[in-house]
Amino acid sequence: MIRVYRPGPVVWAVNIAATCLVLFLFQKILWLVVPFILALIVYYALLPLKLRLVLGGFSHDSAAAWVSGVSFVLLVAFLLIGAPKLLAESVSWQASATRYLDGGLNMLTATLKQLEGRFSILAQAHVSQSLAEQIALFTAQFAEKYLPVIAMGIAAWSPSLLLAPFLAFFMLRDGWRFRKFLIRAVPNAYFERSLYLMDQIDRTARLYFVGLIELTLLDTFCLAGGLWLIGVSGPLLLGFLTAVLAWIPYIGSVLGCVLVVLVAATDFPGDPGVAYAAVGLFVAVRLLDDFVFMPMTIGKSLNMHPLLTVLMIFVGGAVAGVPGLMLVLPVLGVIMVLGETIGQLVTDPRLRARHAHERALQQRLVERDLTLP
Amino acid sequence: MKWFAGKQEHKGRHRLSGSALFGQLSDRDLRIVDGFIHYRQFLAGEVIFDSGEEGQALYVIVRGKVAICLPGQHEFPLAELQDNDFFGELGLLDDWPRSAQARAAAPCELAVLFRGDFERLMASHGRIASQIALQLARHLGLRLRQMLQQAELP
Repeated sequence: MIRVYRPGPVVWAVNIAATCLVLFLFQKILWLVVPFILALIVYYALLPLKLRLVLGGFSHDSAAAWVSGVSFVLLVAFLLIGAPKLLAESVSWQASATRYLDGGLNMLTATLKQLEGRFSILAQAHVSQSLAEQIALFTAQFAEKYLPVIAMGIAAWSPSLLLAPFLAFFMLRDGWRFRKFLIRAVPNAYFERSLYLMDQIDRTARLYFVGLIELTLLDTFCLAGGLWLIGVSGPLLLGFLTAVLAWIPYIGSVLGCVLVVLVAATDFPGDPGVAYAAVGLFVAVRLLDDFVFMPMTIGKSLNMHPLLTVLMIFVGGAVAGVPGLMLVLPVLGVIMVLGETIGQLVTDPRLRARHAHERALQQRLVERDLTLP
Repeated sequence: MKWFAGKQEHKGRHRLSGSALFGQLSDRDLRIVDGFIHYRQFLAGEVIFDSGEEGQALYVIVRGKVAICLPGQHEFPLAELQDNDFFGELGLLDDWPRSAQARAAAPCELAVLFRGDFERLMASHGRIASQIALQLARHLGLRLRQMLQQAELP
């Protein structure tokens, strides 16, 4: 019968420790990790097109070149056509952003004034007045203090992000060759298991990105449905933007919540209840996302226990901050497959014996004419 | 389409074209299949896979000889396979344990089609994969008939 391998506590401990170490190292080379992940997403999106061209008679190289070239031309065309339109509309965006920001600030000030009316301790501390002063100070200093930092950040990250299309092109062109090259280095005794391992890693990465897309769609529809019921304008767009922002755990969630509150406060200036309902809805969807949707989609695709998924998100955040939160699940998924397979290979005496036999045969072959009869 | 397809090498028949499993495929189809195949070299006496091991791949003999054995049960090999023969075909279908041991009877080169790659071939090139699957089904049917005939013999 089939001997089913179950990883023991040592393998589990090594998996989790290795995940923490990799996250820590990734944090140090984030400039390379981010374009690599973007390239992986582009690679998995374009791979079916490349395979269609190979089926049509193209060589692997020319299929990769055509798919990458056409995608690049389409992107450039989109930017050339879309950029002037976007620039022309940016004036109205600025007006809308200012309107929503004012709406949010008005709601905040009104709420604090109401609280001051009820609690004398807040009134004595002049909370609403000091907050208004701080916001005015922040707005006045924003351009001077924060814009150069943001501009520097964009300037520093842009060159490394340009790596993404190049990486994606070489993954498309040479990915299958690289896989064969790696497998060639594996001894015959471990060959089948190693092929299985690479297949599982590829499957894990692919399922993770598919799970991420499913999670985004679930979040979008839940938020859009709730916002539509409350009566907030543009619920689908707002839900989609918030779901995409949630790719960045915690910080993305806070930004998404602020966005929803600003729109709700501006749409219903005299009714703070709508904004509170939007906050309640947002918190409910986030809880649903963290404890139900994420284990169901990404956790399921990585074949992880829901409790481990949730715990590892916290561990990832503690070890490597925001990048750790974003990367912990795919990294753990890949390391689990690696750890289990290596554990299986190391604990299999028959495979080790076959490898030793192969080496002995090779040794005998190279030595056969060294000794004189 | 061929004007855009880039330069491709045409140096006679493909080395897998002699195998019954791939014999129905055109050279162009074989070049596509080649992208999914791994080539391995084994020394005489080397174990290719053991009986009871979880099967993950099918092997085609490009050159050399392979013995199918049941160590501990039969003193001599059950079968000796040569160029273009294939074995381990059930490994392409599921992960049921191998029923016998395969051992290189002479230095040999094997073409290996891994199950995961065959599944990818089915997803991306369904026509080619279905032709391989049909040949595989014919081969299994032949083996079944042979076993039934042997069972009917007194």
